[in-house]
Amino acid sequence: MIPSDHFVRFYNEVFKFLDERNELEGFYKEIGKHQELHCYQCFMDKGLDGMEEYWGHIRVEENCVSSSEIIDGVRYSFMNRCPSLSKVLDCDAEPCEKYCLHCPGWVIPLLTKCGFYYASCVIDTKEPRCRSFQTEDRDKASAVIQKWIDDGFNPDLIFSNIDDFETVEANKKFRLDRLQKKEK
Amino acid sequence: MLRYQENNELHMDFHGTTNTTLNYIAENYGVDALKMILRKTGHDVYKSIREKLEKGDASELIEHLNWFFNREKGRYNLSVSQDEIIFEVLECPAIRHLRKLGLEPSEHVCLQTECVNEGMCEGTPWKSSLKVISEGHCIQTFKKGE
Repeated sequence: MIPSDHFVRFYNEVFKFLDERNELEGFYKEIGKHQELHCYQCFMDKGLDGMEEYWGHIRVEENCVSSSEIIDGVRYSFMNRCPSLSKVLDCDAEPCEKYCLHCPGWVIPLLTKCGFYYASCVIDTKEPRCRSFQTEDRDKASAVIQKWIDDGFNPDLIFSNIDDFETVEANKKFRLDRLQKKEK
Repeated sequence: MLRYQENNELHMDFHGTTNTTLNYIAENYGVDALKMILRKTGHDVYKSIREKLEKGDASELIEHLNWFFNREKGRYNLSVSQDEIIFEVLECPAIRHLRKLGLEPSEHVCLQTECVNEGMCEGTPWKSSLKVISEGHCIQTFKKGE
């Protein structure tokens, strides 16, 4: 058994194998599907509060040094010490250069399916810190991303589903209609 | 002394992601690719255990087995002699958690143990073997050769 504590170090080996074949994307989608087990219902029913609930629980269990807040329809998250990358950097095996990309890799398809905009600013793939946000408002999503770019963050390390707005909007409508039906 | 001393909160759901990963690699790249990744994990990630085994010192391997199975509340028996370590897992915490999540354990779930152990022993006088008795119940043996 690979201990749950050491999973990310195994994950790192898997990423290196897939990256050599330029085939990380398919795996991210698979993990996104797996994560639906933990997140889909919660995010669809509770929206940003559900995300706060899920990632709040992750913050404790995964020993994150992070904070988050919901302001005016946007949930902002600040990861100040990512336990996952920290373990990969504290490892006798070489870290995968794209290790950080798995996070937006699985979150983007999941949140797109739930009808939310999401962006992650990785900052630096060798530093265990990043920031991200979720919102159902396209204009607010664009504004935050623009602010990150204006603040000097590397646009190549900003990952979002903002360009896939047609799918996000369609799924948002599905979610809101579903909630309305539930309320009736 | 463990190279990776973990004593904070546990996130058992990682067993679910491991299960998905085992299936994904086996289905898309074949079981041999999965074995290669798992052996490399054993060899490279657990370099510290392997280097001690090379010198005939199994102390970190024993500490590793005890520490992480205790942390995850697995039931096991461990017997250690000069040239043999027998680790009988009576209830595997990974499989227990997969069942709790409602997930079907991957047909490769025990391969992770078999290949990671082989990777740890590669190039050392120790040889590992795994005998699966039933779901969640296995006997892992580490035997020192010439």
